[in-house]
Amino acid sequence: MHLLIPSARLRQVALLAGALGAMALARMPARAATTPNPEADRLAFRAYFKQRFPAVKNGDWGNGPYAVNAGMRQQWEAIMQFPPYDFALGDGEKEFHRRFADGKTYADCFPDKGIGIRQNYPYFDTKTGKVITLGIAINRCRVANGEKPLNYQKGLMASIEAYMAHTSRGKPFDIKIPNDPRALAAYEDGRKFFYSRRGQLNFSCASCHVQAAGQRLRGDILAPALGILAAFPIYRSDWGSMGTIQRRFTSCNVQVRSVPFKPQDKTYRDLEYFLSYMSNGVPITGPGARP
Amino acid sequence: MLAACVAAMLAPGLARAATKTEAQAALAAARKAEAAAGAVRNRWLPAEAALKQAAQALAAGQYDGSVAVSERARALANRSIQQAKEQDGLWQNEVIR
Repeated sequence: MHLLIPSARLRQVALLAGALGAMALARMPARAATTPNPEADRLAFRAYFKQRFPAVKNGDWGNGPYAVNAGMRQQWEAIMQFPPYDFALGDGEKEFHRRFADGKTYADCFPDKGIGIRQNYPYFDTKTGKVITLGIAINRCRVANGEKPLNYQKGLMASIEAYMAHTSRGKPFDIKIPNDPRALAAYEDGRKFFYSRRGQLNFSCASCHVQAAGQRLRGDILAPALGILAAFPIYRSDWGSMGTIQRRFTSCNVQVRSVPFKPQDKTYRDLEYFLSYMSNGVPITGPGARP
Repeated sequence: MLAACVAAMLAPGLARAATKTEAQAALAAARKAEAAAGAVRNRWLPAEAALKQAAQALAAGQYDGSVAVSERARALANRSIQQAKEQDGLWQNEVIR
């Protein structure tokens, strides 16, 4: 699926080759779609990764590449003597407890005053029929109290999420799929996106984080999909700053040469819903640090 | 058969400079294809970049170059549409079961 050909003649050859390839692909039969069964999916997902990486303990899945590569883990343990997310964590704690102009705080918007609840996000809101991520809940809180919404990808949003994740460390993901066909449709939409190849490089999320999990992609070790969201938000050395799950989805799509959706697009929210549900039982480790 | 097709494609064509109208038509066709890729929510970054490049070449009066890049953008857009249609069923093959 590569089409960056410099000359017109070579381009014509490439188009012909592409057409022949497409004819071959079209002959590949697709499996018949089945009725979604999230819990069966989760158990199969977990069993797959446990079989691939038998030495990884349940509490370690949230540490991504460091759980499956000894060399990376050694570097990470050295880095964690001075965690690069510490400044963001401090900023997030300060902002979380700041009083809005109306005298309220973020704590007034969340169950349990917002402490130790990150593992319950995203959730399906049966009133609106939409998946609500932690980022959306934070911005809803701000707007309801007269504040401007924050950028969903980085900055103060990532800092607040870092603080909230920190208060949930060790608590296992506990994502619910209510008995509502819209919730199941959202789950299925996220599942389909996760496994669908896209972009000029023809990669799906699963290409890297299932099939090639634990292997190298240039200098990086690809994290297993199980527990992959437990460490967010993360300080990513490549970014030189903190980023949310939505930022990572965006950058993953760009890496496969696909035009990314807007942060908190329905598809990204559904993807987060699916992936978080797959990690039910995996403890939160965020905020995290990645190369 | 394949060799004959490739040989035919490699045969030199008539050299004629593209006109502004042809460049505009090629760009419009590429934009239409990219809009169709957007409709199936599967646009590719190189197609977007090629569209931008084609528009710049057109504005600069480089009609041959604009037509060539527009054709590339349209080919990329068509492949992205094809990919989306194929993946609509093929994604099931990658599911962990």
